[in-house]
This record gives sequence, C-alpha cells and structure tokens, in this order.
Amino acid sequence: MEVRALHSLRGARVAGDKYFTRLMSAAVITLGLLLIALIGSLVSASMPLWAIQTPLSFLSTPAWITGIEQADGSTLEVYGAAAALFGTAVTSLIAVAFAAPIGIFGAIYLVEYAPKRVAIPLTFLVELIAAIPSVVFGLWAVKDLSLRLRDSIEWWIASTIGQFIPWLSEEPGSPSADSIFRAGFLLAIMILPMIVAVSREFMRSVPVSLREGYVGMGATKWESIRDVVLPTARIGLIGAVLLALGRALGETIAVTMVIGNAEGIPSSLFLPGNTIASKIANTIGEATDVQRSAVVALGLALFILTFVISILVRVLIRRFAVIKAVS
Amino acid sequence: MTEASKSIRDELLKPDSGSVRRSRIDWIMRRVFEASAFLTVLPLFVVIMFVFVRALPWLNPAFFFNNPLDPEPGIFNAIIGSIQMSGLAMLITAPIGIAGGVYLSEFASSRVVSIGETLIDILLGVPSIVAGIFAYLLLVPVLGFSAWAGSLALAVLTLPIVMRTTQEVMRLVPVSIREASLALGIPVWRTTLLVTLRTAFPGVLTGLVLALSRALGETAPLLFTAKGTNALNFLEFGTTMNAMPLVIYRYAGAAEDQLVGQAWATALVLMAIALAMNVAVRWRTIDSRVA
Repeated sequence: MEVRALHSLRGARVAGDKYFTRLMSAAVITLGLLLIALIGSLVSASMPLWAIQTPLSFLSTPAWITGIEQADGSTLEVYGAAAALFGTAVTSLIAVAFAAPIGIFGAIYLVEYAPKRVAIPLTFLVELIAAIPSVVFGLWAVKDLSLRLRDSIEWWIASTIGQFIPWLSEEPGSPSADSIFRAGFLLAIMILPMIVAVSREFMRSVPVSLREGYVGMGATKWESIRDVVLPTARIGLIGAVLLALGRALGETIAVTMVIGNAEGIPSSLFLPGNTIASKIANTIGEATDVQRSAVVALGLALFILTFVISILVRVLIRRFAVIKAVS
Repeated sequence: MTEASKSIRDELLKPDSGSVRRSRIDWIMRRVFEASAFLTVLPLFVVIMFVFVRALPWLNPAFFFNNPLDPEPGIFNAIIGSIQMSGLAMLITAPIGIAGGVYLSEFASSRVVSIGETLIDILLGVPSIVAGIFAYLLLVPVLGFSAWAGSLALAVLTLPIVMRTTQEVMRLVPVSIREASLALGIPVWRTTLLVTLRTAFPGVLTGLVLALSRALGETAPLLFTAKGTNALNFLEFGTTMNAMPLVIYRYAGAAEDQLVGQAWATALVLMAIALAMNVAVRWRTIDSRVA
C-alpha cells in the first residue's frame, strides 16, 4: 500500500497526528517562503537601478561607471552587465567543452568496462573531488595550475593558431598574470565529478538486455555503446551537462582568484576578465546606493540563469523517467 | 580433415578487412575511455599532494592555537568561527530539513511532492554567492556585518541538501515496517518518528554530514556577511567573525611567505576535514551505489 494512503487510514490516526503532519508540512512551506523571500529581496533591492536604466540596457552595456563628475556638475553613472555576462558565458563554455567529453567518457569506462574492484574505488575518488572546497581549488590554481597552463597550453595555442586568430593571441612578450581561459579550465576540473556522477547514473539505468541484444547480433562493445547506450541515455547526458553548466555559472571564489577581475570585455581568451559572480564578490562590500542595487541586479541575473537551468533539467529528467517506464 | 575442407575452414575464419577495422576501433575507444577515467581522478591526487607538500612546513601548535595578531600567528579564531557559523547553520537547517523530508516522503500528496521537489531543485541550484546576497540584504542593514548573516547564508545553502537526502532515505524504508507498527496500534506520529525515521536515521545522518561539510567549505557567502576579523569571536554572533575559507582567500594573494604558508596550512586542514567527513559517510554505502 502506498505510504500516504497508509498514514491516512482512519483507524490508524489519533488526534495528535493532525498537528504532527501540519508541523511537518510547515517545513516545506518554509522552503517555499524562503524562495519567495530570496526572489523578493533581490528584486526589491535592485529597484533603484531600474529607475535610471532599463533591464535591456543593463544587460547590453559593457561599461561599469560609478559616479564620474562631468563638466556641467552632474555625475555620470552607467551600470552594465555585458562584460560580466560575457565572462560567465565564456568560462562556463570552456569548462563544459573540456569536462563534458572527458566526464562522459570516464563514466562510460566506469559503467561499461571497469570490473567492480576498479569501479568502486574510482567512483569513490571522483565523488571525493566534489568534496574539496572551491577555495582550496582556487588556491591551488593561483599558485600552480595557472602558471602551468600559461606556460604550456596557452603559450602553445597563442604561438601557433593565435598568430592568425586575434582572440587566441597573447600580449606580445608578456603573458598576463590571470586569464579567462585559466578560469574556464579550473571550472572544468571542478564540474567533472558532477558530469561523471550524473551521466553514470543514467547510463547504468539502460537495460543490460538492450546491449546484449546488439552484441549478440555481432556488434562490438564500442558499437553497442555508440548505438544503444548513448542514444538511450541521451537525455540524461544532456541533463548532466546542464547541471554542470549551472554549477559553473555560479562558481564564485575559485574563479575570482584566477580570472584577474579586469573591467570590460577582453579581446582575447588569454587576458584577464571577470564573471557575474566574481564581479559581485569584488564589488558588493564597498558598493552603496545605485551601485549596490546594480550589484544585486547582477545577482538577480545569475539567479534567473540558474533557475532556468534547474527547471530545464527537471523537465528533461522527468521526460527521461517516463521513457524509462515505457520501454 | 581433407585439404579442401581445411582451406574452406581457413577461408571462413579469416577476418575480413571490415571486422579487423571494427575491432581495432573497438580497442582504440576502450583506451580512450580508460584514459578519460584516469583524467577524471587525476586532479584529486594532484591537489592533495600539492596542498600537502606546501602546507607541511607551516603546521605547528602555534598555527592551531594562536590568533592572527599574536607574535606567532595562527588561525585559532578562524577554526572557532567556522565551527560556530556552520554549527548554527546546521541547528537551523537540521530540524526544518528533516521535517520537510519526512513530510514529502510520508504525508504529501503527489502534487505537493512534485512542487516540493521542484523547490528543492531550484534551491540546490542557487549559487552560493546569491545566498550570500540574500543574507546581506536581509541582515546586514540591520545588524551590520555579522556572524548571524553568515550563518543564515550557510543555512540557505544546506537546507535543500538535508531535505533532499531525508526524503530519499525515508522512501527506501519498506512499507511493511510502517504497517507492522501501525497494526500494533501505535499512532502515525510515533510510527513516523520512532520507527520510520529511526530506521532511516543513518541515511539522514549522511545528509547532515554532507551539508555540514558543504557549510564548512563555503567562502563566497561569508565574504560580505561575516566578513572575517583578526580578533577571536566566541559566541558574539552580532559582530564580524573569521572562518577558515576566508583565511585562505585573504592570504592567498599576500606578499609575505608566512601568510601564504598559512593559507596552504589552512587549506590542508579544511580539505582534510571535508575529505574525512565524506569518506566516513560515503564509503559505507559505496557498494550499493556502484553495483
């Protein structure tokens, strides 16, 4: 019998049960109120900005100018999120570009090839990567990874294809101390465990009989993965990448430590920039008045982005569950 | 076997060029997957080794038991601060999270379950810095930079974790256990608390530990709420408070070797705590999650 039906059987209930279930339901209501309060406070605190700028101009302006005295005595204030949005989009895309193939391939090994005595410790170690605090990744990146990337991949790309493509070139003679590319690469490492864990979960749920049928007809292992496992788990894999993308968009402290926190849209991936999250972390402490509400508006933009991704993943995965139930 | 039948057999068994190519691709892809799996775990070893080597020279009793402004500086106030703020966050989170998880698993209609799960998904996806802004907007104008605000931000981040894991593990408790208890005439509320929740308790504890480890490692929401301080702050939640992640963040860019060394040492302590907690609660159930 379904648990809920069992608990609402008349004979089983005493007077206290009504208050007990109400008390428990209050916790879920608290969660709802929390979300409403979160959205409400972000929206209301960003209001002063909307008084001087439209959301569209906020999102499309790259400049962030805080009160410059002009010749006629008035102060010029312009707040734009475009540069930070650009940084967020580019770092997240770099992260996904590296992490999605490696993560999904790694998950394929865990599900399809690894014997149990290898799969168990490997899965466990991948889970542990996710447990390392992001500030520790940031410290490691600042002191070690960044410098290695600068002197290897970045230098190599910049001195070959970078000669012809301006957005892959370096400052002549002096590679910069921080760069967008390095932040993206660090994010790739940080989101890998999530991609592995979620895509593993979905590939595992593909029935063994489907693979057996295909291999029984003469297909090789790889062909059964390519033609059966990956197509069947497709939606779950998209969900895994989306979830990881959401993580990458919102990651703050590690990115702030390596991205350089420079204003404006950089002309090359190998130059410093900023992201929405790093801009907030660097600005909110000192910001007052309209600038503060502009920072909050950045937070609102970030929240909406991750909100949309959460909903998208939920819709996708529910669809996958339906497919699983049918097949 | 005659000469003729032998040659026919060899002809049949001889792999054609197509299947040679296919098995070669199969072999290559296998190596690609193995290499990817290796790459996914590589960062763990690199980070642990690096932090360990850099941190070791700076670990001494003074580091653990002195405050930043002492002649021999340490991070005592940050350790104490981290424990206090994460502890307070868990005190807020644990009852609400467990109650919500219990409600979703035991009593909610399927409509409420789907709404509740969506809420949890959304809150799980909220970036930590947004939770920080929320606490900043709500409490900093009233109290100023304070540990209250820091704890609130951490509570927002840990609540959905506790609720999700509680709901999941309560669901795994067999219906028959509840039926047995109810058949004995034990009221629903006692059955839920003393039978179902108790059976699921190891799992609930796992959720609490994972949430605590997340709270201990968060930096972004504390930057502009608890803010960090050099003073020792014990139970004064109305003022600024230090935390281990803040120490790492602040000292990472410092010019003095001493401070950078302390950042590494703090990173080692923080990482060791986080890994130990995760190993403790995850290793027990790893078989069931892999098999």
